[in-house]
Amino acid sequence: MTLFKKLPALVLTASLLGSAGGLLAPVAAEAATWTPRASEKLIKLPGDHLRRAVENDFRKSTLAAAISEADEKVDYKKSTLQDLKQALQRNAGSDEEIEVDLEYQLIGEKQAYLSLARERQALKRKKAETRIRLYERLLAKMNRSQKALSPQKALLVEQQKQAQARFQGSLGKIDTELMQSSITTQSKYATEYANNMAAIENLVAAINNHPMNQAPTVDGVEVTQEDFVRNMITRNQAELALVDQEDMVLGYMAKLVSLDALALAENISVADSGADVVAVDEPRNSITSTVDLFISN
Amino acid sequence: MFTRKPIALLLAGFMALTGTSLAQAGTLESLERERANLLDLMLSGDISMQERQTKISAYQARLVDLERMVLRDKSLVGKNTPVVRSAFANYDLTFLVHASVEKDRLLMDHWFEQLGVTGQNILNARVGRR
Repeated sequence: MTLFKKLPALVLTASLLGSAGGLLAPVAAEAATWTPRASEKLIKLPGDHLRRAVENDFRKSTLAAAISEADEKVDYKKSTLQDLKQALQRNAGSDEEIEVDLEYQLIGEKQAYLSLARERQALKRKKAETRIRLYERLLAKMNRSQKALSPQKALLVEQQKQAQARFQGSLGKIDTELMQSSITTQSKYATEYANNMAAIENLVAAINNHPMNQAPTVDGVEVTQEDFVRNMITRNQAELALVDQEDMVLGYMAKLVSLDALALAENISVADSGADVVAVDEPRNSITSTVDLFISN
Repeated sequence: MFTRKPIALLLAGFMALTGTSLAQAGTLESLERERANLLDLMLSGDISMQERQTKISAYQARLVDLERMVLRDKSLVGKNTPVVRSAFANYDLTFLVHASVEKDRLLMDHWFEQLGVTGQNILNARVGRR
């Protein structure tokens, strides 16, 4: 009869888990927040430093704290489940009441695990979605600053590029020809410019080799800042897709727990009602057995 | 420990600011002025051929430097003003010395050619009334 008391709880568990994924809406995910800003400062950071800055900002958020806490809770619940499963295996075939009690506890813990896991999934989803939003905003800002050129200004920039290319292309020839002329000698500007240029080239080489100025890379290949940000968006979309898939796994787990709960409820019901059935089948209250009582001398 | 970080950031910001060199103002204006003087000299009829050639060579040396200063002036990149637009719209006329040497032409010939005045045009021209 003690087992019978667990029936309503089991049926409720089964119905909760079985209905549309059946888990309660995560509350912690709504409270935890991360609101990064797509600032100009962030745009100017080179590749990997941009990613690190975003990660640092995330680490300071309440969302990061909530994810860390959820991870701990899920891990703790997982070890509880393992302990219960081992206890169940140890008690297999011994006391039926203890076994049912352990199974009941296991289902309850599975339900709690699924609830925590779903909460963690919601937090992870929030993290990935926020990251995607941030990188998309950064990309939009980058594109906006590039598209800000009016047609007239774009033409001017193009002409200046062409002038630069033409100048660089003919520089050697011009220097040679002008030096051949006896009148045109190397000016002070030209001499100083060449000296300064050598110093600048050394400094530029040092800047290019500086670890804080490394070009962004994706899989070891150097890419532009826009490509890097686009790659970060793709990565986070992949993370989001995996969260979706994990949600599906949780859904199937919930379905399995609900079936387990139903099976256990049915076992308890059969076990409890089984005794009554035997009593009913006994012909102790049959009319024929009392006939003798009605027959007098 | 915590006070060092803002100072380091401030220093980095200062370094970045000083890194962007303050552009020399008026490189293009100086070039235009020098070029106008050169053209004036080329068209002046009151000096001898020898004197003109000597002076043109001196101008040429100055113009080489000025043209390079303009072409290397970062402050002019994308500076959408009528003077800058007009200067870069025609490389051959603005950077007269560089363009003439590039095309293996005398400075004067190059300038006249850019204006559509050639020796053949002048020879074919007839004196007449408008």
